[in-house]
Amino acid sequence: MASQNLDPAAAAASSAAALKGSESGSSATKGSVTKRLQQELMTLMMSGDKGISAFPESDNLFKWVGTIDGAQGTVYEGLRYRLSLDFPAGYPYQAPRVKFVTACFHPNVDEQGFICLDILKEKWSALYDVRSILLSVQSLLGEPNNDSPLNTAAAELWANQDAFRAHLHATFQK
Amino acid sequence: MEEMVVELDSGEPSGPGSDRRVADAWESVIAALVSGAEPGEEPRNARATSFSRTPFKYLDLSDSLALLCSHGLGRLLGVWLLETLQVRLSSSVVPEFWSGLRQPENELEERDRAGVLLAAFRTLLDRLEPFLSGLEKLGLWQEAGRGGLNGPGPRALQDRAFTTIRALLLFSPPAVLQERVLEFYSRTFSVYMNREGGEDGSEAPEGPDGAACPGCAVPAPRCWSHRTPRLLEWVSSEAVTSILHRLIEQRMEQHCRGEYERSFLLEFQEWLELVLGWLGKVFASEGDGDAAETAPSAPGVHGSKPGGSVLKQWRCHMHQFFCRIYVNMRIEELFSIIRDFPESKPAIEDLKFCLERTNQRQQLLSSLKSAFESRLLHPGQFQPRQRGESGFYLTRSGLGLRTREDTVRQIVAGLTGDAEACNDLASELSRGDPVTLEMQDSDDEGNDPEDWTPDPTDAVPDKLGSKRRSSDIISLLVSIYGSKDIFIDEYRGVLAERLLHQLNYNTAREIRNVELLKLRFGESHMHYCEVMLKVRFPRVAAAAAGAGFSSGSTRTGNHQSPTAFRLNGDVHCKKGTKSSWTLEELSVKLGAPKELVHRKLAVWQQHGVLREEAAGRYSVLETGSSREKVDRGVMLIDSDEERDSNTTTQSEQREEKLQLFWAYIQAMLTNLDSMTLERIHSMLRLFVATGPVVTEMDINELDAFLQRKVREHQLIVSTGIYRLPKTN
Repeated sequence: MASQNLDPAAAAASSAAALKGSESGSSATKGSVTKRLQQELMTLMMSGDKGISAFPESDNLFKWVGTIDGAQGTVYEGLRYRLSLDFPAGYPYQAPRVKFVTACFHPNVDEQGFICLDILKEKWSALYDVRSILLSVQSLLGEPNNDSPLNTAAAELWANQDAFRAHLHATFQK
Repeated sequence: MEEMVVELDSGEPSGPGSDRRVADAWESVIAALVSGAEPGEEPRNARATSFSRTPFKYLDLSDSLALLCSHGLGRLLGVWLLETLQVRLSSSVVPEFWSGLRQPENELEERDRAGVLLAAFRTLLDRLEPFLSGLEKLGLWQEAGRGGLNGPGPRALQDRAFTTIRALLLFSPPAVLQERVLEFYSRTFSVYMNREGGEDGSEAPEGPDGAACPGCAVPAPRCWSHRTPRLLEWVSSEAVTSILHRLIEQRMEQHCRGEYERSFLLEFQEWLELVLGWLGKVFASEGDGDAAETAPSAPGVHGSKPGGSVLKQWRCHMHQFFCRIYVNMRIEELFSIIRDFPESKPAIEDLKFCLERTNQRQQLLSSLKSAFESRLLHPGQFQPRQRGESGFYLTRSGLGLRTREDTVRQIVAGLTGDAEACNDLASELSRGDPVTLEMQDSDDEGNDPEDWTPDPTDAVPDKLGSKRRSSDIISLLVSIYGSKDIFIDEYRGVLAERLLHQLNYNTAREIRNVELLKLRFGESHMHYCEVMLKVRFPRVAAAAAGAGFSSGSTRTGNHQSPTAFRLNGDVHCKKGTKSSWTLEELSVKLGAPKELVHRKLAVWQQHGVLREEAAGRYSVLETGSSREKVDRGVMLIDSDEERDSNTTTQSEQREEKLQLFWAYIQAMLTNLDSMTLERIHSMLRLFVATGPVVTEMDINELDAFLQRKVREHQLIVSTGIYRLPKTN
């Protein structure tokens, strides 16, 4: 991970992102987004929530890494998932792009890790924050929406929890 | 008379033959003068004859005058009249006047005394009348140059006569005269005000009497003013002045004191005009000497003529006096006036108007300053809503405020709505967008430029920076103690205390305050307060309430720092899950140094809540038997808490800072797996918002901290790379 953080390509990407940010809006806008993100980070640090966590992956505050532990009592218990959170310059008015980095066998998560979750799409609101996103994703793990699955196999298997758990744990790769 | 004869003899240059004729001519002229009757007319004043004691042969007046003048005696006529007046005054008139005044000593009613006064003056006038009219006649002759007569004219003669009268009569006026005159004028004044002003009678408490009085009162101005205005002005101006002063003061006391929502200027203006009407009557004839002689002094006529110079003087005097005592009263009340702003605006406008005329600004400043010093910092009285001109005074008082050590706390408490009555500051805090407030420097009132007025010229050049305009009261107050860091530090203390007093979950107000302050001071400065609110408080409350120790907590909580309290709460939490703990276990569990935990445990030991079973092993006492220690415990606790009251001690502050950093470190290692010391350090520097308490951590300090965490098995390090131990 350390080497990844020091990856020159990543650093270049981050500076490019910063550049894009300053292009897309005034520096004041970017400043306020930075402030908001810093604020959210602190909120998260102070919340003490178990099983969810997130932190900027490098010095670029617009790119975070998230960590979710499967909730107790669900088939995901004992599994830890890594996510990536990309914040657009228009955040919090635009939803962040959230996806699983760790492969996740779940009815509403596709093979690339994209998540089908309303609050990350049409139901997004500027009142949500990183913490609420992480909590939502965590609860989504235990309570999938099987009506509109991205992963039909997972959706079909969901009904049989034991089989689902067995398959999940067998295929889980960190 | 004898003197006159001597004078006549000595001044007579002619031969003995003409002596007789000259003497007759003299007598004739004198008779004409003092009798007020020219030859051929009926002598109107019988008393005048008493002056001519020797029989003489009446000569034609014109001839007599011509004869006297030819002998150079014309100029002596005036001298003789004045001389005679003087002799008469000192020998009989003055003693008669005083004895008349004193005669019926104390037993008399006020009204009778007035009568005596009047009678004395009437007698005086009667006695003087022949001389005064004689002088006047002579003056007119002189003016007309009758018989070759010349002289200074009636005015000058009269002046001299009055000088003489005043000199003799009032050389040493007994106090009784002043008293009587005062009394008398008071009466006439109230009567006058009753009739003319249609007043509500507040000036004339003797309402029923008032009706009876005009009979005796009204003639007075008439007869007195007729001929003796300057005499009376001299005697009575003091009385009149004191009456008017007293009345203005009285009226002001009754009408204006404590009443700030109404302007009194106009009202008093009208009232003063009314008073001047009365003055006009008192000094009626003074307005114009000639008019006084001819005009029948009908009541009301003179008062309506403001042209008289004396009246003009009085008018100025009264206005000046009104302004002065009004200003005095308002200065005295200024603090209350400011307190009542903006309702008290009319009073301020009045004050401003009067102040421009009385030059009492310095008095106002020093009075207000001492009022601020003595009253400002009492809770409930501090409502600096005043703006505009008062903002200037607030600024000046700032210097005084800074010297008070409780200022910061008071302001913070006021600002965040601590004291119930202090919500104005809190609303000030929420007023408007501070960003724009900061941008505007001075003209932030949003007023019409026409309304702009310069600062008072004696204002001290601004010492507090260009933003002293009062719209931004908060900045002003914060600037009073120089740095917002002090303010924010103080706020943290206040917030901590308040949270500790409060065991419910209602943090809405505190959150609102923090948000508002964040807008004001920027997020980084308020970061720490936010931490306290968002994290500590609910946990504390939950812990305390959940563990059932809330009663003990409230008692001890008064002065505890957030850390101390949090530890207490956490101790209870841990207690709930296990029956006994060692100090080490607790220290590890709580992430706090052993000494600190030990100290806090001692608190609960004293409460009889905990017991140290063996060396370093504690357990919870569930029985009620030990509760009796609680009372004693409270006392001990208090002294214990004395040590770390008010503000967090240095070590506790440091501990809190480390806790915060640890949260960040855990989060970054959770998400980024493993990191070097340098990486952790740079990430912390990037993302931990530093403030007054959470200062940056240098890399050596961090290294030591991480090493400690490794020793406590909360962290794993291999080849300089840190990671979290596996949790499961």
